[in-house]
This record gives sequence, structure tokens and C-alpha cells, in this order.
Amino acid sequence: MKRGSITEERRPFPVRLKPATMKRSTSRSPVLCLLILSLISSVQAGSFFSEEVWPKVGAQSCFKCHKAGGDAEESKFVLQDPARDQTPARHASLMHNQAAFTRMAKSLKDGESRLLLKATGKLDHEGEEVLQPGSAGHRILEKFVRQVDQPQPNTQGKDAPPFFAGVLMLDDARLLRRVTLSLAGRLPTEAELKRLGQPGAFDQMLDSLMKEDAFYDRLREGFNGIFLTLGADGGDSSILSYDNFSKTRNWFQSYDLSHIQDEKERQQAGYKLARQYREALLGEPMKLIEHIVRNDRPFTEIVTADYIMVTPYTARGYGNFEEIKASFKNPDDPFEYIPVKLKALVGRNKADNQDSETGFYPHAGILSTFQYLRRYPTTETNRNRLRARMYFQHFLGVDVLELAARVSDAAATTAKYKVPTMEAAECVVCHKTLDPIAGLFQDYWRFEGVYGKRKEGWFTDMFGAGCEGVGLPGEERWRALQWLGEHTAKDPRFAVTMVEHVYYILTGRKVLLQPKDLDDPSFAAKYRAHQEQRAVIESIATRFAQKGFNLKQVFKDWVATDFYRADGLTTAALNPERQAELDDIGIVRMLAPEQVERKVAAVFGRRWGRLNDQLAMLYGGIDSKEVTERATDPSGAMGSLQRILANDVACKETALDFSRPAEKRLLFQHIEPDVTPGTAEHDAQIRRTISHLHERLLGRVESAEVERSFQLFADIVKEAAARRHDTEENYYCRQGLEQPVSDPQYTVRAWRAVVTYLLRQYDFLYE
Amino acid sequence: MRRDFLKCCTLAGLGLACPGARAATKEGEAYEGPYYVVFNASGGWDTSYLMDPKGIHEINRLYHEGDILTQGAHKFAPNAKHIAAGMSNEDFYKEFGSELLTLNGLDYSVNNHAPGARYMATGKLDSLAYPTFAALVAACKGPACPISYLTFGNYSNTGNLVAMSRVPYPQSLQRIANADFVDGNARAPYHEDVVLERINKALDEQHAGRAAEARLPRVERAQNMLYAAQINSKALQRVTPHIPKNIPKERLSQQAEITLASFKAGVCVSANLSIGQFDSHANNDTDQMKLIPEFLAGIAYFLRRAEDLKIRDKLVIIVQSEMGRTPTYNKGNGKDHWSVGSIMFIGSGIRGNRVLGATDDGQLHVPLNPQTLITDKDQGIRVRPEHIHHSLRQFAGIEDHPFSKKFPLGVKKGEALQGLWG
Repeated sequence: MKRGSITEERRPFPVRLKPATMKRSTSRSPVLCLLILSLISSVQAGSFFSEEVWPKVGAQSCFKCHKAGGDAEESKFVLQDPARDQTPARHASLMHNQAAFTRMAKSLKDGESRLLLKATGKLDHEGEEVLQPGSAGHRILEKFVRQVDQPQPNTQGKDAPPFFAGVLMLDDARLLRRVTLSLAGRLPTEAELKRLGQPGAFDQMLDSLMKEDAFYDRLREGFNGIFLTLGADGGDSSILSYDNFSKTRNWFQSYDLSHIQDEKERQQAGYKLARQYREALLGEPMKLIEHIVRNDRPFTEIVTADYIMVTPYTARGYGNFEEIKASFKNPDDPFEYIPVKLKALVGRNKADNQDSETGFYPHAGILSTFQYLRRYPTTETNRNRLRARMYFQHFLGVDVLELAARVSDAAATTAKYKVPTMEAAECVVCHKTLDPIAGLFQDYWRFEGVYGKRKEGWFTDMFGAGCEGVGLPGEERWRALQWLGEHTAKDPRFAVTMVEHVYYILTGRKVLLQPKDLDDPSFAAKYRAHQEQRAVIESIATRFAQKGFNLKQVFKDWVATDFYRADGLTTAALNPERQAELDDIGIVRMLAPEQVERKVAAVFGRRWGRLNDQLAMLYGGIDSKEVTERATDPSGAMGSLQRILANDVACKETALDFSRPAEKRLLFQHIEPDVTPGTAEHDAQIRRTISHLHERLLGRVESAEVERSFQLFADIVKEAAARRHDTEENYYCRQGLEQPVSDPQYTVRAWRAVVTYLLRQYDFLYE
Repeated sequence: MRRDFLKCCTLAGLGLACPGARAATKEGEAYEGPYYVVFNASGGWDTSYLMDPKGIHEINRLYHEGDILTQGAHKFAPNAKHIAAGMSNEDFYKEFGSELLTLNGLDYSVNNHAPGARYMATGKLDSLAYPTFAALVAACKGPACPISYLTFGNYSNTGNLVAMSRVPYPQSLQRIANADFVDGNARAPYHEDVVLERINKALDEQHAGRAAEARLPRVERAQNMLYAAQINSKALQRVTPHIPKNIPKERLSQQAEITLASFKAGVCVSANLSIGQFDSHANNDTDQMKLIPEFLAGIAYFLRRAEDLKIRDKLVIIVQSEMGRTPTYNKGNGKDHWSVGSIMFIGSGIRGNRVLGATDDGQLHVPLNPQTLITDKDQGIRVRPEHIHHSLRQFAGIEDHPFSKKFPLGVKKGEALQGLWG
């Protein structure tokens, strides 16, 4: 099989992902419309403002304060956030911002542009010096000011070749293999491979694949890697609070197991009950995600769903099992999840009963689940700020601490102000956004966060509850998280963030951050790479919203992109700039322990079964608590595990496969151990088998590599023929065979060596 | 030739041309030091209860100014009467004061955990791409070491220069050290030697052949790192003889034994050790009097065991936290985040019995003259993590390595700390 070509015709399904075209806004003020119209000709894709001034200076240095709700919102220089702009290609906000910059550039003080004076802290500017004279950012502003005076046509970047020029793409068959392994943990079926090339077939296959249970296992695993709710502290005893569930949360302790006569057996059954209950409880948030996606519900429900997922076991913990047991297909199945609304929580004292105008718990998707609240608890001093931070990161893609601004003297600032977070400009810049969200969680205060109001009332030395400039209406207080969820679902950043999450699930890494260092020689290349990726993310996000927030569409759209299909290069000679542009291209993901196990199962019919617990951690896995990021590169310890895996899987599977009837074999269907190299017929038969092994294990058949494997096999058999050796496979590698397999000519062991060799390769261990 | 190739491919995979970037170790060779260790007091330590004592303004409640103790040049807070376990400051300074270099008045610049931990670990506040010092020095000095960079928590980014190794338990190393034998049993090889050699030869040839292919940068990097990981992993066999059968249960002891065994075996360059829960927003004194002694006991354990293993003189130890704690107590008897703190060093080539920098009576930073290393309100600078990292890179002899140049710290001329190490 050849590598895929780069022709458009080979695309498996015709998805076009281009930045949307500009459209006039009609819902803005007349003055602004005039301004917009006057700027339409100047703000175009590729303009100096949109490509240089805004991303490199405005967004990085000005926007933090100069925005609605920002510390400089009272100034005349208030900018709009393109990330929240729903107009095509963010034109409305960019035009607004260009107008603001232009006005400031034209405004003079003693003959000098106020824009430059403010930026360098020479005029009254609360942000003081944000750009040093002579810095790259300052030079960009200087050029902008000059252009405002004497507009010049922008020719920058016009001659650049297409971003993916010279990049080879996977052909359809290999793309299908990548998708089925990644999303369903299996190889493509013969039927699927035959359908390739038929109109619409790939799309339909993806639809079918996303109905498989394995896809939902993968989906939950992927989203847990983001939300980490499996790492919620405790289990039965703390996820369900004592005050609200004291009589029901430990139901398993009194569960009648008297029908089990043997005491030890009964004890074991009790342990199992508790373990499954705990597992089911921890699994609820990710099961909510599964439920939404499986049923093609809008993915906005992860912040708006007015229900949670419960099982017969967890329902017993909540105390509503008797009410809902008829809804279960099997009331004894610990892992059958169904959607349920909880009633408003009842406290041990009447005063502690949960406020609710409907009588129900105000569910807000994952946001209000006990697991999420317990995973990100609060303290008297943290005041829900961790939750606010995680909310921004998980649902709006903003990491408020990611690139924290340096404070000139943070300690002095802390000492100087009574409430620095409300008074000191450098603190207010974040806290004015963060603290209102923290306030929305205020009723989830007790028990490190599960429902319960703070006795003294919410803190008054914090910005009041709300969401980015909009205060929480008093009557909405009882359902504050629902109110937040509704705001979130409408925020354009939500869709973008979910598209980014899917990218993370598919690739194992986060999307590119915009480069910051304007003096970096590779800045332009990195910037282009970021912009190319960003354009695709935004296009997919737009479609996501248009398709009713169906998350499956996001998976399908990502799979269709060149970012997912990129596989190689046509030429080895890349200049440093091009190298930097393509630095992040290609999936190239070292498989996580769970993925390795699934791949072994897909190829050999069963898991290896050893990449669990300690070894999984050693192989870069996560525990969702303390270790929350997967290793992306193999250490020597992981290299050792790869060697063990290759040796052991080959040992267990090679002779076993030969011991099966030929038609039931997975690896050696068309060859027997008595076929040795030396005749044309035998050599061809061996090569065919090697090609099959390459296809099955690596998904890639290249003649030079087949020849290398052939030579390995042939050399081992030849070398063995020249010496005495056992006529049977290694003792450990002939256990559990369906029938004895003798190895007088050492061919079974030679095949085992070939399988070992293939299992150690990049194409097996990486995606 | 294969060794040179491996060395080259490791570096080439990281986007660097081979000739200009020499690796310090080759496949199979033991790395013999220096060994770099970063101890992290994760959560933010109260420096007034250790190396920067304050007996005034009720900055602390457990001692007064007259109670402050000295050991050589060091002033430290007394705590022997307040601790139930671990190592007291008194004992720590008595045993290690002559080797200890302390810098007070370090400006962490931020007072949030995540950026603070990142800044202290990398020397760069506003980038997520920078490697920790431990990762950088591992990449520069021991790219071929199988577990070149060990980490047990805290911020651990590698900058894509080197793979990080997380080894949760010493036993897990024992389980994987003999990869070519069934269950690690040396009498039960999976393949006969001659077969294994042929498998490895085929992998070598395949890898060499790929060097001439047109590959995406990520593919090239991944293939090189994978190849190096498998080849280098064979050296793990050297680790297990150095893992003791009985290891104390303390948190740092486990980390120490894994690290020291790896150092002793020559398979590791650097390690990032960490214990958490220093974030004492409530009941500061109770927490700090439990954690500081545990932390110091762990450091002492590490140094003593290194002595046993005869590698003590090859250690470079950095003791740090991502922030300090306020000079006032909150309503819950806790202390909140504070952006000024301290850092300590012990090791070969570091002149001890010295204290540099200072905080004032309000626990605010006092500028330090980078040339004289004397506090100087007029000519002094705010010493920040980038200054420390700049000096660390110099000290390790990696400041001009291509990897270091890829991640510049931006320390201005004239701001480099002169003679920090004595």
C-alpha cells in the first residue's frame, strides 16, 4: 500500500472548513455602523491591524484591562473580545478595535501619538509601561501610527504557499484504521474497507462507529482526562454529604447478603458491592457526557442538563431507588445509568434545606454534580476561586493562571491595599472576572463544597456574583449554576473550547497557544501555524453550533482536516521557518497505557493485561488525582516496558495462533510452521504473511520494510539450522495452546521474533 | 559508530543539528555526576519559620526576636520545642549549616500556585513551553540515560527536550529492569541471545534508514525518542542492586531511594522531589511545624543515604517552594500567599555557611546588588527566579548549550549574580 497523496479527490468525505466570509452586522448602533462601514475596506483578512497590531499587541497587552468589565472599562479606550464575537471571522470586534486604536493613534499630545505615549507609560496610564521603547511590540505600534497617517497597501504574507504544501496525507484506508483504532479500539472490518471510495461511505462509517460502546468508553476516558472527575476525593462517604444523605449513602453496609452462606464469600460480596457503588458514583459525570453524545443531544447540556445519571446502586445512595427502580432495565445492574432529577436537598435542620422554587435540585450539567464540586473543593481562603478557574478552563478555554501577569511588587501591593483583589489594578485585572464566577458557587460551600451556605453570608470583599459584567439577579440565586450554565452555552467560546477538547482527545495534546515572544526569530512561522490551526478550530466550532452542538460532528470534522490526516513530507529539506511552521503537524501520539491495551486486543484478539495500576503509571498514565497529565515521550523506563510488552505479547500469541485452525487464525492464516525460506514459492508465501503482519500490526506495508522483516525471519531460521536447538517453542511461550505446536525448524520462534520486532516499532506504539 | 548515531539522533530528533550539540553521555555509559536534585515544598512554605526568621510585628506566634538562633552565618527560627516528628531546624543547621547557601528576599513575582511553581521550576513566568531546570540539565548532560529526568510531582515540563520518568514505587523499577526475561527471571530469556541480537540489529538498521527519509518534525522527534528509550532502557538493570529491601515509610524517603539508586546506577541526571500540603491557609503554625520538619528530615535522609552510596560529593541540591506566606495571620490562624521568599542550595562547588539577600521587617524584599551580592537599596535589583536559573545554568556549565539557548531567560547584562556559588 502506498502512502496517501495530497489530492483533494482522495478526501473521504467532502467537508469544507474555511473561515467564514464577512457579513455586515445590522444590530449595532448607527454610529458604530458608520464606523464599521468606513473601516470595511481597511479591515480585511491579512490587514496590518488584524495580523500584527491586534494579535501581537492589542490582545496581549491592552485587552486585559481595556474591556467591558476590565479594570480600564471606564476609559475611552474600550476594546471588544474577538473570541466572544459571533460575527463571521470576528470582523465586528476587529473593526471596533481598529477604530479604537486608530482614534488613539491620531490623538496627539505635544505632537506625539497618545497611543505610543500611553503604551510606554509616558502619559497617565494606570497600566504604566506595557511596551518598552524599541521592543518588537512597540515597533509594531509605531508602524501602525505611521500607517494611520499614510495608509499603505499591505502585502505581507501574500506569496506564502499553502500551509500544507508538501505534506503527505493518509489515504482513506489508513485514515480509517487510524479512526477505528483511536475511537473504537478496533481494526477496520473487511466490509468497511470494501466500502471505501463510495460516496458518503466514510461519513456513514463514522456515524456507525460512534454508536459502538467502545467509542463511548473512549469518550469518557478522553473527557475524564480533561475534567478529572474520576479523581474526586473520597467515594460514598464524601461525594454524598453526611448532612443530606446520612441515612442512605452507606446503604451497602446493611444490604442483605444473607443468602450467601459462606462467611468469607459473603464478606467478599460486600466488598464488591461497595467497590461497584463507588465506581458507579465516580462514573456519573462522564456517563452524563456519554448520554448526551449517544443520544445526539446538544452538548451544551454538559452545563445545562437538568438531570444527572444514576444507577441502581447510586440511586440507593441518593435515596431515590424505590421511586425510580421501575425505570431500570435491570435494577441489580450496578452500572446501568439513567437520567434522573434529584429533589432539592434536605438538610439535618430545616434551615439547611436547599432553596428551590421547583422542588428539584438545580442541576446544571457537570457543573453542579457532587463529583465535580468535590474534585475541585474550596476553602475559607480560596473562596471558590479554584472552581471559577476550572470553570473558565473547562468550559470557556481560558486558563486565568496560565500566563499570569507579573506584578511589579506583588508583596508590596498585598501589603498596601486592604482588599488588593478589589483595589490594586494588577490584581483586579483577573479578580474582576474570576470572583463573580466564584460567587455563583457560593451555596456549595460546606463539606469542602457540596451544598451548604456559608453561615456568615457570602464574602463582601469580593466582586459580587455574576458572569463577566452581568450581575446575578437576586431571584436567580437559588439556581445560580443553572444561570451560569445558560450564559456559558451562549458564549461563543464554549463551542470553541469543546472543539479544542476533542482535539485533545484525538491527539493527546492541547491546541497551539499563540506565540508571545515577538523577538523570537521563529515568531512568524509559529504565528502562522497557530493561525492556521485557529482558523480550522473556529470553522469546526461554527459548524458545531450550526449542527445543534452535536459533538459527533466535531469528531467528524476534525477527522476530515489536514491536521488529522497529515502523515509525511514530500521533501526532507525544510528551512528553519518551514520546520517551525510544521513543528506540531501530525498526530504522532504515543499511545497511553489504555490505548496500548486496546490496540493489542484489536490486533491479537485479547489484551495484554499488564498495563494496569503501577505499570500504567510507569507507562505515563494518570490517576486523575495527583498525576493528571499523561507522559508524551517515552523514558527509558517506558522503553523497558515496551520491550517487555513486545517480548511477552509475541510469546503469548505466536504459537497460540499457530495452534488454532488456519481459518481462525489472526496472524498466520496462510502459512504453517513447516514453511522455510529457500524456494521461490515458500519465500513468496513468507513475504505475504509478513505483509499481512505489517498491515495488521503497523497499518503500513512498505516493500523495503517487508524485506527487512523477511531477512530477519530468514536469518534466524538459517542460523538455527546450523546448530542444535530444542524442537519445541520456549516453555513459557507454549502455554495455553489449543493443540501442541512443534517447532523442529525454529520457524515458530522466528515468527515470534518478527512479531516482537514489529511490536517494538513506532507504527505500533504511536498513533 | 552506533553510539555516535544514537547520540546524534537523540538531538536531531529535537530539531537540533548534531555537530553543534554534544551529548554528555553515550549509550551504555554510566552518567557519573554531578547529580541535580530539586526539593519542592509544594504549596508555599513559611520562610519565617525556617531560614528567614522574624521575631517582630507578630509575623509569627511561636518565638520572639530574642529566640532566633544562629549557626555560623545562618540565622534561623527555633522550632525544636514545637515539633512532634521529623527534623528540627536546630538539628538541620547543626548538621548542614556549614554547607548551606541561603538566599532570602527572592521575588517570586506572583502569588498563585500554578504560575509560581512554573516560574520557580523554569525561570520563566510567561511561557508554558520552558523546561524545568532539572529537565534542561538532564537533556544537556544525559540524553542517553534511561531515566535521565525523574519527577515525583510539582511542575515538571520538559520543553520536549527529554522524556520525564515517573516511578511511583521502587518495586516498579525492579519489575521492569530485566525486560528480555520472563518475569525478569535471568534464567528464563524470551529469546535466545542470537535472536535478540538480530531483532535489535533490524531495529538499528530500520532506524538508520529512516534518517534519510522525509519526515514531519514530530515524527522524526518521536521516532528518535522511541528508539533511544528502548536502547537506553537496558541500563535499567544497573538500578535494582541499589534499591534497599526496606525503605522508611516517609514520603521523601521513597522518592530519595528511587532517585539515589538511579544516580548510583548512572542512569539518571536529575530529579524533582516534592511533598505537598504546605498551603497553610488555616492553622499555619500547626501545619508548618509538621511539614518543615518532615521536609528537612527528607533532605537529611537523602544526604545521608548519598553518603552511604558514596555519591554525596556529586550532588547539587536546590531547596525551594513556589511562594512564601504572608507576614500576618488571617482569621483562621492561617497565612495566605506571599510573593517574597527564599531558596537554599547545598552541593559540590557551592560554598556554604552563607546567607545572601534579605527581607525587611515587613517581610518585603530588599534589593540585592548583583555584583557584590550585598543588599543595596540604590544599586540593587529584585532577584527573581530567572536570575537563579541563569546562575544555575552557568553553574552546571550548560548556559551555552543549544538547549539552553532555545529557552533564553532574558537576564539583562549586569543583572547576573556574580559569585553566587562562592
